[in-house]
Amino acid sequence: MIKVSGVTKTFRTGSLEIQAVDDVHLAVQPREFILIFGRSGSGKSTLLGMLAGLIRPTNGEIRINGVDIGNLSDDKISELRAKEIGFVFQFSGLLPTVTVLENVLVPTLFCKNSPGSRSRALELLKKVGVSERADAYPRTLSSGEMKRVAIARALINGPSLLIADEPTGDLDVDTEYEIMELFRQLNCEGTTIVMVTHNPDLIHYGTQTYCMDRGKMVKRPESSSFNKWEPGPDTHLKPKDVS
Amino acid sequence: MGAGTGYPSETKGCVMKKEINYLTFIVAGIRNKPGRNLATVFCFAFIAANIFSGQYLIAGAMGSVNQGITRMGADYIVAPVQYSVFLRGSGPENTFAIVTAFPSVWRVNNNIMDTLGKVQGVSGMSPQLYVSTLNLPALSSSPVDVFGIDPTTDFTIQPWLRQPLKHPLDPGEIIVGHQINGEISSKIQVSNHAYTIAGRLDPTQSAVDNTVFLRLDDAYTLAATEGIIHPSAPHISPGDINAVLVRIVPGENPDTVGASIRRSFPRTQITVIGRHFTLDPVSQDIEGLPFLLNSISVIIVVAAFPLIALIAAMVAHERQREIGLLKSMGAKRNVIFSLVIAESLFLAAIGGIVGVVVSLITFNILNTQGILNSVLQVSFRMPTMAETGLMAGVALIVVIAIGSIASLYPAYRSSRMNPYDAIRGEE
Repeated sequence: MIKVSGVTKTFRTGSLEIQAVDDVHLAVQPREFILIFGRSGSGKSTLLGMLAGLIRPTNGEIRINGVDIGNLSDDKISELRAKEIGFVFQFSGLLPTVTVLENVLVPTLFCKNSPGSRSRALELLKKVGVSERADAYPRTLSSGEMKRVAIARALINGPSLLIADEPTGDLDVDTEYEIMELFRQLNCEGTTIVMVTHNPDLIHYGTQTYCMDRGKMVKRPESSSFNKWEPGPDTHLKPKDVS
Repeated sequence: MGAGTGYPSETKGCVMKKEINYLTFIVAGIRNKPGRNLATVFCFAFIAANIFSGQYLIAGAMGSVNQGITRMGADYIVAPVQYSVFLRGSGPENTFAIVTAFPSVWRVNNNIMDTLGKVQGVSGMSPQLYVSTLNLPALSSSPVDVFGIDPTTDFTIQPWLRQPLKHPLDPGEIIVGHQINGEISSKIQVSNHAYTIAGRLDPTQSAVDNTVFLRLDDAYTLAATEGIIHPSAPHISPGDINAVLVRIVPGENPDTVGASIRRSFPRTQITVIGRHFTLDPVSQDIEGLPFLLNSISVIIVVAAFPLIALIAAMVAHERQREIGLLKSMGAKRNVIFSLVIAESLFLAAIGGIVGVVVSLITFNILNTQGILNSVLQVSFRMPTMAETGLMAGVALIVVIAIGSIASLYPAYRSSRMNPYDAIRGEE
């Protein structure tokens, strides 16, 4: 489904060059729940941005269903995103000017063959547990509710891939659990999920787990020793490790 | 591709009714920042009001001049040779437009019109007959001049009508000057003749204000009534007229035509008196008005343009994250571009309408109070509905054009913005 080959992303600020993602290889199969761990600044979000076509890689190739998205025009990538990719941000990412229900429906504007409808939006809101807030404005929601709405919105066009960038980063433990259970349920129902987090306690949710350190994808440690694990030079994932 | 979310209602690939639209989005965005958007609307309203007011003032003032030109009356008056004696040194009448012949008892036969009609450069002519000056206390405290006119050829009296006649002047109907008492359709009595007031003239600031005009045939009938004509005055016979008012073909040299008229008659029979083109100085006075008002409009538009552009840029910057989010959801560049432009157009349209409406109300109030006339020093003629609609349309189009042009660059920038940078820009 997704094949990432030798992807690098370098940001330039004046004379300063920052290698945010460095020679990353990754393969994601349909119905997988990929968890990518890493400390802040390790390049996780940049990698997700590239998977969603929001950032163009400096080098390397990202293929989604065999299509190299690096070669697609801006509009073609937008089309692909609208139809196939749901994105949940670390922050709520809700539009403050429209209601919860309208927020969920917004992506349908950009997808020609969207299955999105009012009834489906309400169904999704019910699914994520905030249907009673459909007519509320985002500013009146709690962080957990906002996150749930963002998930419902990401699913409105029926995407095959859900990308989540630290979706539980600002939530309390109970809400984090509820959200992660929701992701698990979605995955069980067939949605492929790629999620990054810096919380090692969530490791058991992933069907595949990876780690990022200083822009490189490294081998997954055993969950029991995750908190104490330090990547070494031999842990960098090579193409053969992910094929 | 993938398995999807697996919800029962999922119908991927099937087009269903979208239940949100871009207008919802634009209106919601505008409602979200009422203060800022009110200020933007005010800017647009100010521009629209300025453009509209300028055009309105020009149209009103020029309308007055045009009306004045139609009321300038005749280019020449052809009268019995003795008539010049009365005209000479006659004060304001001599410098005013020729609307009526001066009251006199010297007459000619209307067959002079046969000769006049053959003179090259003459486009119109209408006879007038001074009947008498009567004391009619019911009509006016001053003596009232009574004139006979030919309503079918008249081009000097009827342009001064306050309201056009409902039908051509019928026998027994009269037109009265501004100072004559009596409402339209009311009856007046002159000697033993009853007349109906069919029309009332605007003020002319001349003796016309105290004059009653009736059809020539009625004039002959009235003149035949005992006590109407002074016993010492010559008798009026049918066919007698005091003067023929002549209009020349536009573009013809008045002096040449005047000379041709003179050559067509024996010197001892008629005199030909030209007008002094008295409204020309008035039109020269307001000649500079359009230039002045248009210049002010241009200056305001030029000055407001960067302000509008700055506001549009601020709005786009402020909504950077929102734009990034929309792109992350799949919005294409043209959608983002259109959204930014549409919001600006929306504000411009509202501002434009507000500006035009407020200006119209203001003009109506000022006109009712007579302030426009005194400020412009010309009689301000309110433009017609069609003219007003056209000017409102022009003002709206200009404002909308300014709004869209000013937001072009911010819209372009927004559409090209990297969504990831846009989303994280405020973090």
